[in-house]
Amino acid sequence: MMRRLANIGLLLAAAVLCYGLQTTRPHYADLIAPIPVYGNLKDDVALRTFTVRADAVTFACTLAIEQFGRRRLLTTGGVWAIVTVALSAKDSTTTIAAATWKGPGGLLYDTTERLSLAPGMPPVTVQPGLPGKGRLVFEIRPDEASEATLLVSEARYFALDSQAHIALGPIAVRPDGLPEGTVETFDLSKDL
Amino acid sequence: MSMTAHGSAVETDATPDERRWRRRCLWALLLLVPLALAEQSYESVVTLLNNSDRLARDVAWGQAAEFGGSEWRLANLRAASGVPGLPPNAVPVLADFTVRVGDADLQGHWKVCMVMLIDAAGRRWLPSGAVSLKQPDDVQRCNSAMFSGAKNGDTLKISETFLVPKDATATIRPAVSLAGERPRYLRFQRPQG
Repeated sequence: MMRRLANIGLLLAAAVLCYGLQTTRPHYADLIAPIPVYGNLKDDVALRTFTVRADAVTFACTLAIEQFGRRRLLTTGGVWAIVTVALSAKDSTTTIAAATWKGPGGLLYDTTERLSLAPGMPPVTVQPGLPGKGRLVFEIRPDEASEATLLVSEARYFALDSQAHIALGPIAVRPDGLPEGTVETFDLSKDL
Repeated sequence: MSMTAHGSAVETDATPDERRWRRRCLWALLLLVPLALAEQSYESVVTLLNNSDRLARDVAWGQAAEFGGSEWRLANLRAASGVPGLPPNAVPVLADFTVRVGDADLQGHWKVCMVMLIDAAGRRWLPSGAVSLKQPDDVQRCNSAMFSGAKNGDTLKISETFLVPKDATATIRPAVSLAGERPRYLRFQRPQG
């Protein structure tokens, strides 16, 4: 009788221990999650294979792009956010292919797929000793513009590698709800 | 209290033989757990180590080396000038190879064919798409040569174009890596004289 009770007690203790571990220990996906390297606008953020610096953020209502000899205008129901970044490879040729705009509300916006062939759009390949520039274009909700974080990494999906988390800072809001300094049209055809 | 009762209950129920085996099993765990971990991770570790170019095989200038079933020889390493639209300190560099095909199964042997430049500091440059220089018709790139249908004994001309900073041009050396030959790769001596 005593022995059966002891066994039940042991089983319960093990269950409590397992439950405790499950709820308090990080999930496997968190253990292999991107390793954040934090920085601010105009800071050099050094990752494992490359360094990135967000130089400027511009907001625009419309994007203009020259494609196959024709000028196209891209409108949006929200606002376009264009981030100019400086990139340099550490010790081998590196391709930077993924960037995400993380709004203050936690919404995640990947770089737009509505345009291609514009200069500086990811994927951007940089050679060691030859820094380059990139232009990251996001289509976001106007209320996700202020206090946003720019996430930059080599690939969209990866494990155990670094990712830049660049705080883009506060941005004032105009009476019409758009971010302060929003331009009517941003021309993507012009060089970086 | 209950643990003591439990412990004594177990002690009194088990025969000395059972107790001895229980102890042996517990001691065996000390060996078995690390062994199981090693066995589980062995393949991943081997894959990781073999997936990088770690062991360089140096090839002297003018010499050919057998690699991926073919004989590789560096024919030239030259800088191109007068290319417009490049950053001020960037130099386009061409690495030319002549390859005598020994085994015509290039698609099998030359998988992930990668030509690179390595400088004295260990920096590596991969071919750049930013510059395209006019080449003779019989010159191919490594990956296009794989599908050229070359036969045994044919000689292929392979050339890749790179973009390197001026300060690296003095020490860069061409290297060739093939997935099937990793972790070994060929590192060529710079042209002499």
